[in-house]
Amino acid sequence: MSAGIIDIDYVKYACTCGLLKTLQQLYFCRYCSELRCSFCVSHEVDSHFCGKCCENLPSPEARVKKNRCVNCFICPSCHHELSTRIASKQPATPEEAKATKRTYYLSCLCCRWSSRDIGLPDQTSATGSWPKRKTFMQDKEFFKRKQKEKIISYTDKTGITAASLRKRIGLPEDKPILKLKNAVKMVTPSIAQEDIDDFDEEVLTKSINLLEITSIDQRLLQPDVQPVEMNMIFPVQKMLSIKRSLRCRSCEHNVSKPEYNPNSIKFKIQLFAFYHIPEIRIVTVQPLRAGVPAELLIKFTNPTQHQTTISFLPFDTPIEIKESTAEVGGSKGEDDTSDLDKSLPLMKVIPSGAKVMALVDSHLNMSRSSARMVTPRPLDVSINCDVEIPSSTFILPPRDDAAEYDDFNEAHNIQDDKKLVIWRKSNKAFIKLIVTPKEDTSIGTVITAGFTMSHLYTNTITSVAENKKPQKFNHNIKLILDLGKSVGSE
Amino acid sequence: MELQDVYYDKSDYVETASGNKVCRRTVLCGSQNIILQGKVIVQAEAIIRGDLANVRTGRYCIISKEAVIRPPYKKFSKGVAFFPLNMGDHVYIGEKSVVSAAVIGNYVYIGKNCVIGRRCELKDCCVIEDNTILSPETVVPPFSRYGGSPGVQVGNLPEVQADIMVDYTRSYYQHFQPHKNPL
Repeated sequence: MSAGIIDIDYVKYACTCGLLKTLQQLYFCRYCSELRCSFCVSHEVDSHFCGKCCENLPSPEARVKKNRCVNCFICPSCHHELSTRIASKQPATPEEAKATKRTYYLSCLCCRWSSRDIGLPDQTSATGSWPKRKTFMQDKEFFKRKQKEKIISYTDKTGITAASLRKRIGLPEDKPILKLKNAVKMVTPSIAQEDIDDFDEEVLTKSINLLEITSIDQRLLQPDVQPVEMNMIFPVQKMLSIKRSLRCRSCEHNVSKPEYNPNSIKFKIQLFAFYHIPEIRIVTVQPLRAGVPAELLIKFTNPTQHQTTISFLPFDTPIEIKESTAEVGGSKGEDDTSDLDKSLPLMKVIPSGAKVMALVDSHLNMSRSSARMVTPRPLDVSINCDVEIPSSTFILPPRDDAAEYDDFNEAHNIQDDKKLVIWRKSNKAFIKLIVTPKEDTSIGTVITAGFTMSHLYTNTITSVAENKKPQKFNHNIKLILDLGKSVGSE
Repeated sequence: MELQDVYYDKSDYVETASGNKVCRRTVLCGSQNIILQGKVIVQAEAIIRGDLANVRTGRYCIISKEAVIRPPYKKFSKGVAFFPLNMGDHVYIGEKSVVSAAVIGNYVYIGKNCVIGRRCELKDCCVIEDNTILSPETVVPPFSRYGGSPGVQVGNLPEVQADIMVDYTRSYYQHFQPHKNPL
């Protein structure tokens, strides 16, 4: 089935950092022209929202509410969301029916727990008024408030803060927090107690009713109280979820920025690799036998609005990584890639920090300490299958959404190598490769093949800004294909 | 992996002008209340309970074999009321799944043997794994993956999930072809 829906990862792409990911999980920074995975982007919290009521909370408010939703509760017994029910109490007399208001209680539709089980009284309004259990943290805040009340604040009366006053009369800035930190706290020594309570023998003799005792999960849901008995559990406010935006660590450009609305699935910025890098899917493969060549049919799809040319390179082709990322299409890295260890084809420094400066003035910008250089890790894969690298290249036309409705648009004037390209339609092409599992592979081992794909990438960023022609360059990506298990020889 | 062609018996299926492919061996109760928006596949022995309330699907929905679409009910003090079931575009419902959700968004994938409890809300871009039991009134937020019994969030989805689902349902429709050589 289609990739991403069910855990299908037959085709993996090597990220710039050396991790293997599916195309759907990767990002493509247009400014660096590099693949980025979730480990080489910085994650930023964009907005907080409740997964149940989809209410959006600004981050300061979420902080005050301790990242929990005000209206939604989860069941302390089974962790499912609680729903508010209207109490159906039959009024005895018609007069009583007019006088009594609607009351509400919380109920779990998963485990049938309800707020009445712990004796919580029914509430008169559906939201907002649920009693909160007094916790240790709330007591602490109470103390803080008490302490503050002793100090008379002149700021409220005059509107002048202490800091602004100091500045005005030329005193150095007051740093009370630092002073507090330096002060040594005196610890009161603990005193041994003389009279200790007698050992309660009931602990050993009394039989336990397991239905009344909470499980570890139930206790850990309320870490401040850690209730032991079922009648001590209390509805827990639901934790908020976040929407996050992702930022390329090398050039600080966003690669993904979602819309603010929690229900929206659209993105303001979406530099996903799925929209820029040709997608590859395995169509069919002949039964794989050790040392016997087999035909592998793969499908290429060009997702971009520009025509691309795809060529194949051996798997251990070293991939150049650009040093300067501030400029689009800047210097394409150093050229001393030839002496690299073949088994570590990606051994090249890549920027992991925020912005990479040219090496000359890098010491001047040391204040931006985030300009760290990290070597990409070697690919964690063992290739046990040779791929016959075709010498010819093929062209993939741009994506055309209208082509889907056009059944007769087969007149493309592309001269194809008939041995390579089996079939093509609009921006898709079926490619035949010959793969040979290595001689010493035993029956039943998973066959992994790999090659480097070089595709012509058209970068349109500069063309929009400076009215220049879009830049075109070849972008190389390493691909790992999981071809399934080998079978016995005939 | 690229989808393989699925062949069906041409005499077994009805194809409407808008491209819906509905198997004759299905139970469509209250068919005047069922709206299939176009290019929808309803496979053999599926049950759609349009007699309870309106059922409306979007474009490119796939209702697999033996799936049950049943509008949700809510108990009131004076009895029971059924609510319409709305489904977005590009929704896949797996084999033998029972769906009683109130709302199913766009680009939703429901695996096989699932039970979607009554009045669940499945937002856009979510995946319910195979054999999941969602308890009633569960809200599944966007880009989340639910699994287990009772269903809880087990993971997140990539940002391109919408495009994956569009591609999946479209190619499913394209690969759902009548037998070339009927027996």
